[in-house]
Amino acid sequence: MKVEFKVNDRKHSIEIKPGELLVETLRRLGYKSVKHACDTASCGACSVQLDGNPVLSCRTFTAAVDGHDVKTVEGFSKEGELSAVQKALVDEGAVQCGFCIPGLVVTAEALLKENLNPNEEEIKTYLNGNLCRCTGYVSQTHAIMKAAEIRRSSTSVPVEKRGESS
Amino acid sequence: MKVSNVKSSAVAPTEFKVVDTSVSKVDGYALTKGKAVFTDDFNIPNALVVKILRSRHAHAIIKSIDASKALALEGVACVLTHEDVPRVAYTRAGQGYPEPSPYDTFVLDKKVRYVGDAVAIVAAETEEIANRALDLIRVEYEVLPAVLDYEHASDPEMPVIHDEPEISGAYDPSRNIANHYEMHIGDVDEELAKSDIVVEGTYYTPNQSHAMMETHVAISYFDPNGRLTIISSTQVPYHVRRIIRRIFGVESRVIKPRIGGGFGGKQAVHVEAYVTAVTLKTGRPARCVYTREETMTASNTRHAMRFKLRVGASKDGKLQAIDMQGLSNTGAYGEHALTTFMVSGSKTLPLYNKVKAVRFGGDIVYTNTEPAGAFRGYGAPQSTFALDSILDELAYKLGMDPIDFKLKNSIREGETSPIFKVMGEGREGVEQIVQSCKIEECALMGAKHFNWYEKKKRPRIEKTKAHGYGVAFAMQGSSIPAIDMGGATIKMNDDGTFNLMVGATDLGTGSDTILAQIAAEVLHTTTDKIIVYSSDTDITPFDKGAYASSTTYVSGNATKRAAEKMAFEILKAASEIMSEPVEKLHLENGKVISESDRSLTYSEIQTKLFYSFKQRQLEVTESFVSEVSPPPYMVSFAEVEIDLETGKVDVLNFLSYVDCGTPINPKLARGQVEGATAQGIGMALYEEHVSDKNGRIVTNDFFTYKIPAREDIKNIKVEFAKSYEPTGPFGAKSVSEIGLDTPAPAIANAIFDAIGVRIKKLPIKSEDMFFAIKNMVKSL
Amino acid sequence: MLKIKEYLKPKTIEEAYEFGNLLNSLYVSGGLIVAQLKVSHLERLVDLKTLGMDEIEDGNTVKIGANVKLASFMKNSILSTLNNGFFKEVAKEIGSTQIRNMATIGGSIAFRLGWSDVTTIFMTAKSQVELYDGIFRKMSLENFIKDGKRDQIVTAVYLPKNARFLAFEKFAKSTFDIATLNLGIALSLKDDRIEDVTVVVGSRPMISERVREVEEFLTGKDLLSSMDKAADLMEKVIKVGTDMRASSEYRKALAGALLKKAMRRICHESGIQS
Ligand SMILES: Cc1cc2nc3c(=O)[nH]c(=O)nc-3n(C[C@H](O)[C@H](O)[C@H](O)COP(=O)(O)OP(=O)(O)OC[C@H]3O[C@@H](n4cnc5c(N)ncnc54)[C@H](O)[C@@H]3O)c2cc1C
Ligand code: FES
Ligand code: FES
Repeated sequence: MKVEFKVNDRKHSIEIKPGELLVETLRRLGYKSVKHACDTASCGACSVQLDGNPVLSCRTFTAAVDGHDVKTVEGFSKEGELSAVQKALVDEGAVQCGFCIPGLVVTAEALLKENLNPNEEEIKTYLNGNLCRCTGYVSQTHAIMKAAEIRRSSTSVPVEKRGESS
Repeated sequence: MKVSNVKSSAVAPTEFKVVDTSVSKVDGYALTKGKAVFTDDFNIPNALVVKILRSRHAHAIIKSIDASKALALEGVACVLTHEDVPRVAYTRAGQGYPEPSPYDTFVLDKKVRYVGDAVAIVAAETEEIANRALDLIRVEYEVLPAVLDYEHASDPEMPVIHDEPEISGAYDPSRNIANHYEMHIGDVDEELAKSDIVVEGTYYTPNQSHAMMETHVAISYFDPNGRLTIISSTQVPYHVRRIIRRIFGVESRVIKPRIGGGFGGKQAVHVEAYVTAVTLKTGRPARCVYTREETMTASNTRHAMRFKLRVGASKDGKLQAIDMQGLSNTGAYGEHALTTFMVSGSKTLPLYNKVKAVRFGGDIVYTNTEPAGAFRGYGAPQSTFALDSILDELAYKLGMDPIDFKLKNSIREGETSPIFKVMGEGREGVEQIVQSCKIEECALMGAKHFNWYEKKKRPRIEKTKAHGYGVAFAMQGSSIPAIDMGGATIKMNDDGTFNLMVGATDLGTGSDTILAQIAAEVLHTTTDKIIVYSSDTDITPFDKGAYASSTTYVSGNATKRAAEKMAFEILKAASEIMSEPVEKLHLENGKVISESDRSLTYSEIQTKLFYSFKQRQLEVTESFVSEVSPPPYMVSFAEVEIDLETGKVDVLNFLSYVDCGTPINPKLARGQVEGATAQGIGMALYEEHVSDKNGRIVTNDFFTYKIPAREDIKNIKVEFAKSYEPTGPFGAKSVSEIGLDTPAPAIANAIFDAIGVRIKKLPIKSEDMFFAIKNMVKSL
Repeated sequence: MLKIKEYLKPKTIEEAYEFGNLLNSLYVSGGLIVAQLKVSHLERLVDLKTLGMDEIEDGNTVKIGANVKLASFMKNSILSTLNNGFFKEVAKEIGSTQIRNMATIGGSIAFRLGWSDVTTIFMTAKSQVELYDGIFRKMSLENFIKDGKRDQIVTAVYLPKNARFLAFEKFAKSTFDIATLNLGIALSLKDDRIEDVTVVVGSRPMISERVREVEEFLTGKDLLSSMDKAADLMEKVIKVGTDMRASSEYRKALAGALLKKAMRRICHESGIQS
């Protein structure tokens, strides 16, 4: 069957099998950041945003995505430049093997969209479905705190500037 | 700083520029951007999909295989059975050659030895066809009785698992004993008899799964020149190449791209043999991606072990004797069987070097269960759980604080233990004097930071919750001495960068970054000027691979040597160009500077050497083989909360102090310990495999086999008690494995502290805790 | 990948029901369960998401469309504030962010998962289910779980709005795990006496069930002092089983323990000192 949907704002009009899963379609289309690491919806490595909400692409039928917007980690960084979340993850040593990272970034970006000032508990709760076997999570939580801080200050910069000039 | 003597390694810690700083990982950008860097991300046109038909029986002889229906299916390229692959016995273990593990494995055999053992290899155009083909293969088995309980594996009536004539290197296959080891120092029985207090106990640790996020994956193909190329998610590319040649008689190139975690699970040949068999048979590229279930049930686990311990001490708290009798389950094949078992003694017992007598030994047995293999800690987490728990109990019976007791009996700088020499890894060890050891600082600073003495005064039980505090001590090693070798090549480029080529295998640990830092430090440049290429057997020099806590130590030393030689070559070239004696030149900020303040950048030097002056490429290769294996040390503190109504245990705080010498990259080193701690908490509380009565593992996914999730890990803190190891690169020792040793005993000791129940079996299940608490309350 | 022949997107509920009644058809909403199914004869999926049914309407009762996602427990202004934020709090214990963004109320209830927290929670709240099987009908969730038919389409869930105290407890091995046992209790207090009480236990491992003996025992009792006896009774009467996660003996003990925890929670909320 034929479906049409956007990935990172780019339109794809493709032929799929009716039972195809989004993770399979995305990898086939070259979005290799989307990982298939379990068969039981239990790891979050396949997370993508569907209309802005993080979902598991391993449990999403591509047929159901027809007409919707998908965002993968490739959509969060411009070429040569990392998003605040990505940069903080690297800087805090929160990326070891990196296999969990694309799914983590996609989910963390959604968290910061909903809550720009999360505490550690809120971060852990929001990202609890994103397993990481390498880091023990500590550094990842710190990184997301840091990214939120950077985002907050960058969105409040204009306000400060206004204050200074007056 | 002047490089008056570039060979000197005794640089004082304060003078580091790049080492001991937390530079970001060199592969961090690609990984966070989700670039196609893992094995399965590579598009190889026309690759066949390879699937393995696996045994449903724990122990059976294959009478016949009828693959005609599968072969008739359109799109099936081949079905290979034991009749189609070379009958060569080998071990899947990736270890130094000749391997201490028995040669007891075939690519495919006519006997299957566990549920999940390979029966046939199927290759097809698509995954769907391959899966359909699997369903169409008819196998007739003669089912044999199975050995599922390792405690009874060598009972007289038990069926023999390895009766093949080709087996070699196993101790007594007729009794299902893969290996046996024993040693003693002093007279243990006499010392125990003389001890004022003797404590005994039997401890069990389970077959933990690595649960790395990326499953096992390999791709093989002939390159345009007909060279067999294998891309593999492996920790041991050089061993893979050697073993593939042993099996198939074919030369190959093995490339390791980024790996999605290994933890020892990829220190073995898993998928490579299957894809190679297909490529050799069909001439076509072949790709095999293990499912999560295959990774859980048909690769490797940690060796489940049982330790029976007796320890004795004098009234004043002097440890007199340790008697440690082990039993290890290697499963269907003897990968890493002897060596993990020996490490469980050799990397724990020297810690208590004041003891008068030590006896250690036992069998490593075959059973019809998933083969065990290498797993972070490599035997030490199992034995540390037993040893540290029983010493905690001994301290308690002596009325001593466990910190005082363990410190009183543990090793210090300048001391040695006879065990270093007696027991190594698969063979004798090497004598060594401990030149860096901050175990005392670890314990004392940790106790202060954790508030140990104050916390121990608090009430333990409040309403429905109990709190407890536990401490555990551990050591590990840095490499396998006199065996592990690693090489490094450095090539200078005319843009002032260097290529660092290493066989060392970065499996997410950050070793590419650390090695770049070491090279940058020596070459007086920055990490971004060191372009690392690692783990391509056709391009990079040999390295044993990523295991035995050896990369920083061995590959780091090799890199340092190569960089020192390169520094010397640069000075020599500059001296010729500038017509100044070498002694008057030094390296600084990517330049050679003379006493007369003339300077040449690296870029200028190599450009001249390329085009106009005594033309040559500066390139050096150096190797390093360790003579000793300096242990890192660690002391950890756990605070647990026990829900008395349900038996659930939570680790509220976990603090570790680690002596890993100089942490080359503190952030990455901390990450190693934090990650290992979470895996240790998993082993202690969450991770359990359940098998049915036929030996099939039913916990074959992340839905049923629970590794700790984010909210399960409460508060982990890691601090360093820095020491300087003179034999290590810039004072470094290993750090990647030791973090897994302490969580289980620290948590178990904390549980005892909270409610007086001694935990002797892992994982600590809420259900068991609940009934233990109930029984205790009843008997009050 | 599921080997199916077609993925249908019906335009009306009648059409959906018709498709659903074709041989080897299956409804799909969030897809979390469906995408994992290993059924070889499945030919067709009938996507219910195209039918809308994703509104939350406030009235005497709260009507929750079957396609409403579990995430709405936390995000929807009506649901997240209901019963002092009860739904918002318990949602955190269900699956993960991604799962809550996908799982629908309808799919959660219709599949009759033994370990469903959602079923326990809604049964405790005495919800009604609206169904379509040619005509629309309404029945209690409790009866639907017992007697509902597989081909019926769940179209909405009705949540009564009243001042009962609600408490939910889940016991699981890890924070990202299904329940070893879950328990819900709802009650109102009149002069500190328990009235109109509902007690539900789920993941026994069998599906959620009301425990009427305990409800009867608690009726008219004082909340604080009846706790221990109620827990003892719970352990005696609750029907549980053994599986990989726990033995029946342990599940009995958990049922008692979770009842006490839930009752303490209500004590706390209602200002009774415990
Ligand atoms: C890893 C994991 C963890 C989970 N953890 C929890 C947890 O902690 N607590 C909890 O309560 N749940 C948990 N769940 C269950 C999750 O909530 C269910 O998967 C979800 O509720 C199913 O909803 P769905 O919309 O995805 O259903 P689908 O997968 O779309 O459908 C499920 C079944 O219901 C049928 N169906 C769907 N919609 C309707 C309808 N409107 N009318 C009639 N039939 C219908 C389908 O035909 C199918 O048989 C977990 C699931 C997973 C995969
Ligand atoms: S692949 Fe594990 S949750 Fe999707
Ligand atoms: S960094 Fe390896 S799984 Fe998270």
